[in-house]
Amino acid sequence: MADVTTPVLRTEPVVSKREAQQSSTERRLFLSPALILVGLVTQIAFLATIYISMLSWNLVRPDQGIHFVGLSNYSSMLSSSTFMTALINTLVLTVGVLVAGMVIGLLLALLLNRSFPLRPLVRTLLITPFFVMPVATAEIWRNMLLNPVYGLIAWLLQQVGMTPPDVLGSQPLLGVGIMLTWEWFPFFMLILLGGLQSLPEDLIEAAHIDGAGPFAVFRHITIPHLQRYIAVSTLFGLIYLLGVFGEIFVGTQGGPGDASTNLPFLIYRTAFNDWDVGAASALAVIAVLITIVIATGFNRVLLRMTGYGEAQ
Amino acid sequence: MALKQRLGSTVATLAVYIITILIVFPIVWMVLTGFKDEVSAYQMPPSLIFTPILDNLNDALNSGIMTYIYHSIIAVGVSTIAALALGIPAAFALVWHPRKSNEGVLFWLISTKFMPAVGVLIPLYVIFKDVHLLDTLLALIIVYTAVNLPLVVWIMYSFFSDIPKELLEAGRVDGASDWQVLARILLPISLPGVAVAGLLSVIFSWNEFLFAVTFTYTDAPTVPVFVSSYMTAEGLFWARMSMALSLAIVVPVLLGWIAQRQLIRGLTLGAVKG
Repeated sequence: MADVTTPVLRTEPVVSKREAQQSSTERRLFLSPALILVGLVTQIAFLATIYISMLSWNLVRPDQGIHFVGLSNYSSMLSSSTFMTALINTLVLTVGVLVAGMVIGLLLALLLNRSFPLRPLVRTLLITPFFVMPVATAEIWRNMLLNPVYGLIAWLLQQVGMTPPDVLGSQPLLGVGIMLTWEWFPFFMLILLGGLQSLPEDLIEAAHIDGAGPFAVFRHITIPHLQRYIAVSTLFGLIYLLGVFGEIFVGTQGGPGDASTNLPFLIYRTAFNDWDVGAASALAVIAVLITIVIATGFNRVLLRMTGYGEAQ
Repeated sequence: MALKQRLGSTVATLAVYIITILIVFPIVWMVLTGFKDEVSAYQMPPSLIFTPILDNLNDALNSGIMTYIYHSIIAVGVSTIAALALGIPAAFALVWHPRKSNEGVLFWLISTKFMPAVGVLIPLYVIFKDVHLLDTLLALIIVYTAVNLPLVVWIMYSFFSDIPKELLEAGRVDGASDWQVLARILLPISLPGVAVAGLLSVIFSWNEFLFAVTFTYTDAPTVPVFVSSYMTAEGLFWARMSMALSLAIVVPVLLGWIAQRQLIRGLTLGAVKG
């Protein structure tokens, strides 16, 4: 039912030369509007980001003019402590949520991969946090769960005699990480559950007959089989998590200080609070480079593991 | 042994029930709080049985959320239709007029998903400002259409590719035009694909916040922008806030439940069929 697929790419012979030409025209006609729009909004706009990153340009100070400054935006950003903080926060948050989401996702996928009453309902309920809009997630957690005075978690801790901590005030990255894990574990759970369901049952039965215990089966059959699913979910999880913005905007405003500022939030703040679009663009180019390095590095691992894209 | 196994299975089932309740509790609690008055909203432990009131619904509707919902419906609806209108023919062209470059085109589309939104945010803002599209729904429609297109093309491509070859060959021999083949043969059997592609684009663009908060402020802000304004204004009125949040999330949550079987195919652009 579920499997990692290799996209099927068809290259059928086309009948005559005239038909081939006509077919090429039609292909272009159908294909190009979509490709042009995507190209403009993603590639061309990114080229513009690179260009702006080499300008000294403040949007609300037209009197200062726009000057070409080469790479000086990069050198000033790379040497600023705010950038280093944001970079470290981004990596800590991304890796932390990835690991926590993967572990919880795997655990729940294993629990769901059995037959029990109400299974479809349980599955539906468990994926619900993923559809709650990120800014709403942040409002619920910030006000109703993590608030150190009125929040539910504070009340629970008081019941067992503990002093409730101000999580978002003293450990903001942890607080945002908890929200993000709640929001993202269903993503990992669903992919890993897809992997578990595609595991051939006779394989497990054969192992049982050979005298393998459940732990041995898990280690020597389930985990190797899941590897490619773990790889796919890691790749996409990394890409989506590197772009987290709304949870931080609403949850902590990047604070206190810069304690929970990640790269997207720093870019937004530099561009639309300081209006320094040159410096913000330099940060954006750096963020894209980081994403590309991680994505291609991981994609290579993925290609090796899945044969994804080996068609032709 | 059998008894021990049965016991283990019961424990696992109980565990999954308890974890599920803990995980959905914040959402259920929020929805219920929307029907309480402000005093009982703060009661600890939260009461699950109470007399529901509709005051917050009235307040929420009077607080102007309907304008934001209206903006969201237009921005999300038009961009989803546009993404389908551009993406379905593109996926069709890849299947019906295949070339060696298919692989390149498809992987290029995936690679655009690796472009973080912040990588294009600033030039788009500057351009929209120059052409006076800032604070208009059209700006969001253009961006959301482009963002959702790769998803639509991939989903439709994977559905079209599942269609038996004989069926396609019948269309070819028939001498029907491209539009006829698409409309009469491919689309009718790929309607589930259209539904999934449409649902996923609606969910993603309904929840989108970065572009919305950057490109709109007074004339065209969408629901997430409204929700983020509670941060400063009314964070301490839980009942009213809960009702507004419930209204904000109801659309994507319901659609997400409907689309859940295909969610993974969409999120991983076809790499995993869930």
